[in-house]
Amino acid sequence: MNIAVGVDDVHEGELVNTSEAGPAPKRIVVSYGFWIFLLSDIVMFSALFAGYAALARATAGGPTGSQLFNQQTVAMETAFLLLSSYSCGLMSLAINSRGYFGTFLGAGVTFLLGAAFLSLELREFATMIAIGATPQRSAFLSAFFTLVGCHGLHVAVGLSWLVLMMIQLAMRGFSPVVERRLHCFSLFWHALDIIWVLIFTVVYLMGVVP
Amino acid sequence: MNLLGKLSWSAIPVHQPIIMGTVACIGVIILAALAWVTAKGSWLYLWREWLTSVDHKRIGVMYLVLAMLMLVRGFADGIMMRTQQAVAAGGAQGYLPPEHFDQIFSAHGTIMIFFVAMPLVIGLMNFAVPMQLGVRDVAFPTMNSISLWLTASGVLLTNVSLAIGEFAKTGWVAYPPLSELQFSPGVGVDYYLWSLQIAGVGTLLSGVNFVTTILKLRAPGMGYMRMPVFCWTALATNLLIVAAFPVLTALFAMLLLDRYLGFHFFTVNAGGNAMMYVNLFWIWGHPEVYILALPAFGIFSEVSATFSGKPLFGYRSMVGATMAICVLSYTVWLHHFFTMGASASVNAFFGITSMLIAVPTGVKIFNWLFTMYGGRVRFTVPVLWTVGFMVTFVFGGLTGVLLALPAVDWQVHNSVFLVAHFHHVIIPSVLFGCMAGYNYWFPKAFGFKLDERWGAASFWCWFIGFHLAFMPLYVVGLMGMTRRLQHYDVLSWQPWLLAAEAGAVVILAGIVCQIVQLVVSIRAREQLRDTTGDPWNGRTLEWSTSSPPPAWNFAMLPHVGEIDAFWAKKQRVHARQERSVQRREYEPIEVPKNSPTGFVTAFFAVLTGFALIWHIWWMAGVGLLGAAVTLLCFMFRVEDEVEIPAEQVALFDQSHPVEISL
Amino acid sequence: MTETRWDVAPGDRPGISVSEQGTFSGFFVHTIGLLLAVILTITSFWVANTSVLWTPGVPAGLVVLAIAQMGVHLVFFLHITTGPDNTNNILALAFGVLIVLLVLGGSIVIMANLNENMAAHTEPMNLQMQH
Repeated sequence: MNIAVGVDDVHEGELVNTSEAGPAPKRIVVSYGFWIFLLSDIVMFSALFAGYAALARATAGGPTGSQLFNQQTVAMETAFLLLSSYSCGLMSLAINSRGYFGTFLGAGVTFLLGAAFLSLELREFATMIAIGATPQRSAFLSAFFTLVGCHGLHVAVGLSWLVLMMIQLAMRGFSPVVERRLHCFSLFWHALDIIWVLIFTVVYLMGVVP
Repeated sequence: MNLLGKLSWSAIPVHQPIIMGTVACIGVIILAALAWVTAKGSWLYLWREWLTSVDHKRIGVMYLVLAMLMLVRGFADGIMMRTQQAVAAGGAQGYLPPEHFDQIFSAHGTIMIFFVAMPLVIGLMNFAVPMQLGVRDVAFPTMNSISLWLTASGVLLTNVSLAIGEFAKTGWVAYPPLSELQFSPGVGVDYYLWSLQIAGVGTLLSGVNFVTTILKLRAPGMGYMRMPVFCWTALATNLLIVAAFPVLTALFAMLLLDRYLGFHFFTVNAGGNAMMYVNLFWIWGHPEVYILALPAFGIFSEVSATFSGKPLFGYRSMVGATMAICVLSYTVWLHHFFTMGASASVNAFFGITSMLIAVPTGVKIFNWLFTMYGGRVRFTVPVLWTVGFMVTFVFGGLTGVLLALPAVDWQVHNSVFLVAHFHHVIIPSVLFGCMAGYNYWFPKAFGFKLDERWGAASFWCWFIGFHLAFMPLYVVGLMGMTRRLQHYDVLSWQPWLLAAEAGAVVILAGIVCQIVQLVVSIRAREQLRDTTGDPWNGRTLEWSTSSPPPAWNFAMLPHVGEIDAFWAKKQRVHARQERSVQRREYEPIEVPKNSPTGFVTAFFAVLTGFALIWHIWWMAGVGLLGAAVTLLCFMFRVEDEVEIPAEQVALFDQSHPVEISL
Repeated sequence: MTETRWDVAPGDRPGISVSEQGTFSGFFVHTIGLLLAVILTITSFWVANTSVLWTPGVPAGLVVLAIAQMGVHLVFFLHITTGPDNTNNILALAFGVLIVLLVLGGSIVIMANLNENMAAHTEPMNLQMQH
């Protein structure tokens, strides 16, 4: 509900509606902007998902998903990423209470788990390529490698970003800029896990359903 | 291993005199511009004040300069096509061989959509939205600069294709399988893809920037329903950018993977599906035309209200219609490929949604008409463009409703009837709207108005020329002429195409008038000077600043109590209820620091793009590394703001008095 | 002094200031979220790899579980709530979800329809009317 705000002054003692309060504080502005960017990234993934959905059966006589996908590997990848999301959450708690040790520990665990996820995924890709299931083999494989690979690329970018943020934290301490950027990182990392939920459901789990 | 990839001297089209002539002309103009800047000793000024600026006003002006330059290039492509089609009847082959003609129609579409229309609307939004919201800048000023320079990178790469190599011959939509490596082995499609991929990143960042600005950065008291309508249309536009451009990014990535790494998304073999490209392209493509049209609608709202001296009629319905168009534009895309083979029920669904989207647009037209009705309308140049739009766009839109019927579309799909339709909607909305916006906000940007007579002349040439150029296309489309024909043997089409050529010449006169208008206005700028900051008796907050405004826009952020707060303030002042200028306590203001990040990132983007096009892998690596280092430097910079001392703010206010301010 | 109720930044817990968010209650929220996510993930793998669900219903079941997992992430890790200070965040999320549904759903329906109509028919031409 609009409170009629006088042009020259704001009435004392009244609760000001957020939409009329003027420019928002920087933490909100930066986080919201990053939130919108994440939504655009999710739309990009949905286009890749749409491509995958259209081409999932286009195996051109080559290997199918059920022949290639290893459920144990996927389960481990999922566990690693989920746990890294948890450790990232704990890292956020440490950041909020400005605890250096907790932050570095949380970041380290997140990094290790994320790196473990990536190495499993790279091994999976290498195995597939070694047996001839290359992205050049069929449209299905092109779509698979692109969708899952794009997610993996985002994870790699995230890990690099985490390292840079820890360097910056060591150099600058918990300045407002560093806190805002770490907050954006955690939004990014959680979003990646959300996308992974969709990937392992649609690509791997549905891929083995007859 | 060849150090320069596929690049060799044979990439320069020395055997094509038209292209070499064009390249020579462009080269002379660029050299002349560089020489002029050097002669005036302005390099440092240019670098400090413009190239590294993160000020939304400067960035907006640079977008418009880019757009106007590319308008000339895009129009040149257009008139070349018209001339070719006017003469190449019967046995005549015209003057453009097919390989060249194909590049021209591809470049025309690509340039007009991505490098004229997009920069026009983004530039105008950049300039006006923060001031209309009563704030000092957008949410992420440095990112704003990056967006501008990435767009410029796309422009540069596309234009380099004239001199080195070739452009795509696939049309501006680049459907596979024609755009696949098998059927387009040259560099043309790669130029297209990398230019647009780079520019697309810039546009997406702009979208994020403006959504955040409009939703989170407004003057105190400016609730959502007190924002100017231009800001509402800017919000809808940027939401669409955020929603649509990622799809294009993914799509072009898929085509690039096909071309570079032998993937099979859209190939004819190994399971590829070319129809999926068409589907995903138009999921982006239809929201794109609304991205272009909505800001233009916003400009018409501002112009019609200001020059009628009345508030905009139906503010709430305008907002509702804008957001309805925003959502509905995402539900109609299949109408671009009714003929690709979907079943009748699928076609019917999208036909119905396509007709539905005409409804909120109609609401807007009525609102503009009712705004002007009963007002004291001043027929300034922006109003001429607005009325021209209303008259023309309605008919163009009606042909759209016609085409929304799958049965009709099956008759005229890919004929010049379609070409006439989309020019009949895009030119009145986007071009007329941006010309109106350009004339409207020019005094605010530069401190003097544009000449009215040459402005009116340019409008009439555009209006008459447009109709003369495109109405014959409806006729000849119904007679069966397909689009993109380099020559044809149905002689009865030729008179119509000659008329269309004449129309193109009249439009050329209109463009010349615009250039003359600018030159004349600069010469006569003292007579045309805007001394009050409010040359039009405006309604919105940007008119409460001086012309041009200081970098910080407002010495103190205005407190807003209603829609059209500036107008309301003026009424109260004239009724002697308030003082015209509040006594103020000046405080120091923090403004974002200028940054070379945008310019340098763009340099590396061009390097990387060019290298990837020509398969010069080491150079691509250098470019990516450079971009990464630039990003690191930006990430680790210590100061991002500069404090303007209170005395400087006070001094500016005293030397640039305005009559009334909030 | 006027009190401004600001929106909450996405990812921050609503109702308390940033510096108060590093407490034990935050730890419990995250841990509960992890446990729920683990349970849902294991269930997904179980549903896909055994025949505990009626086979044609498995994809639907997996989708439901996936949505639940995403919801757990949003609520427990990203602290998205339905409070008035979260409205902008939810609206943005809802807009994103709408676009994703249109892109995915629209593409799947359209591509299926196109593929069916445009596929090469190797069997003798079907003389019955086709929709």
